[in-house]
Amino acid sequence: MSKIVETNAIDAFFEETEKLQKALPKKIDANPQNVEAGLAKLVLTLIELIRKLMEKQAMRRVEAGSLSEEEIERIGETLMKLENKMKELKGVFGVKDEELNINLGPLGDLM
Amino acid sequence: MGAVNSIQDRNSSSSFLKENRVTLLEVLDRALTKGVVISGDIVISLADVDLIYVGLKLLVSSVETMERLRGAPMSGNREEPT
Amino acid sequence: MAIYVYGIIDSNDKIDAFVTGLDGVGVYNIPYRDIGALASDLDTPVRDTDEERVLEHETVLEKMIECFTVLPMRFLTVFNEKNNVISMLNEHYNDFREDLDRLHDKTEFGIKVIWPGAVIREKIANAYSKAQVSVPSPDDSPGKSFVKKKFETYKINKEFEEEADRRIAVIDNFFNRNVCEKKLERLKTENMLLNASYLVDNEKQNDFKKAFEEMRAFAGDLKYLFSGPWPPYNFVTKTNTRHDRE
Repeated sequence: MSKIVETNAIDAFFEETEKLQKALPKKIDANPQNVEAGLAKLVLTLIELIRKLMEKQAMRRVEAGSLSEEEIERIGETLMKLENKMKELKGVFGVKDEELNINLGPLGDLM
Repeated sequence: MGAVNSIQDRNSSSSFLKENRVTLLEVLDRALTKGVVISGDIVISLADVDLIYVGLKLLVSSVETMERLRGAPMSGNREEPT
Repeated sequence: MAIYVYGIIDSNDKIDAFVTGLDGVGVYNIPYRDIGALASDLDTPVRDTDEERVLEHETVLEKMIECFTVLPMRFLTVFNEKNNVISMLNEHYNDFREDLDRLHDKTEFGIKVIWPGAVIREKIANAYSKAQVSVPSPDDSPGKSFVKKKFETYKINKEFEEEADRRIAVIDNFFNRNVCEKKLERLKTENMLLNASYLVDNEKQNDFKKAFEEMRAFAGDLKYLFSGPWPPYNFVTKTNTRHDRE
C-alpha cells in the first residue's frame, strides 16, 4: 500500500507545519567563536524553565487559597524581580524568547 | 483512499506544492526526530540534537557516580569521604 | 567509505528485490542471528539538513515494510564498517528482538487536528473577565497586581488546556477500540490541537479507516490531516534508554 497523506485543509496545515518546522532539531553551534552564545542560550533556557515552574507553582497555591495576603505580596514582588532580571539577561545576551527552547531529542522540547 | 489526494483542484500548482511541502514535513518530523537512536563511539555521525541528550545523560550519570563515591545521596547532612 | 543503516528487520536473509538507497546504490541486509540491519555503502558525507536524502531514507523503509517488520533508524545513522554494525546488533539484540515481536504485522498512522486556538482562547479570556473573578484595583501594591495578572493568564491557560483535553478525548474515542498503541501530543502549537500516532494491527486496518470516516463526518469544522502507512517511527523503544549499562 502506498503512502497516503490526506487533508481537508491544506492551507491550514501548510501554515502550521511551517511553524513546526522551526521546532525541528536545532543545532547547538559548536563553532568555537559561537560557543559562548550557544552556552548562554542553554543556561538562560534552563533558568527560564525554573522561573516558569516557580511561577506556575505559585499560581497553584494562589488557586488553592493557601497563601496569606502578606505571602501573596512577597511572592508577587519576587516573581516580578525574577521576570525583570530575565528580561535584562536576555537583552545582555541578545537572545529572543523564541530562541529559548531546545529540542532534547527523546525528551521532547524543553518548553 | 488512493495516492496523494486533495479535495482542492489538482491543477492548482500552488496547492500541489503545498501538498508536497506538507508531506515532506511529515517525513522529516518522523525521520529526524523519531526512530531508533544509536549513539556511541562506533557511530560516526549524530544529529546535533542528540549531543544535548547525550550531554544530559552524562550529567545525570556523573551525579549518580558522585553519589556512589561519596557513599550517600547528595542532599541533607552527609559524611565527608576520608 | 562508510555504512548507512536504514533500519532493523526481522530477517537474516538476503534482500530479494533490488532496492536503491542513498547515492543510488543497492540496499543489502547485514544479518545477525535472526535479525538484520538494512544497509548501503555510503561514499559522500551527508548533512542532517539534506531533505532529499531523508526522502531516500524514507523510500527505502517504505519498500521494506511491505515484506518485513522494520524498526526504522533515525536519519543519518552511519557506521565506519560492517563489524561495527554487527557490534551494534549484538549490543541491542534483546531490545530489537522485543520490538520486532511487538511491532509484527502492525502499522503506524498519523492524525493531526487543527482547531481555532486563538478564537477559543479569546472566548475563555472574555468569559473570565466577565466573571470578574479577581479585579485589579488601583490600590493594589505592585506585587499583588503582578500576581493578579499572572493568575489570570494561568487560569485562562488552564481552561484552554482542559478544553483541548476534552476535545482530544472525543476524537481519540473514535479510534481507541481499533488500535494497539497510541501517542498523543497536545497543542504542539496553539492551533495544532492534536498530533496523534496510532499503531494499528493489520487485521484491524479497515476498522481503523472506518473509524476515521466516522470522525471525519463528526468533525464538522475541525481540520484534519491523515497520513500513513508509516514505518513505526513512534513506537520503537529508544534503545539508549533501556538496558543501559550506566
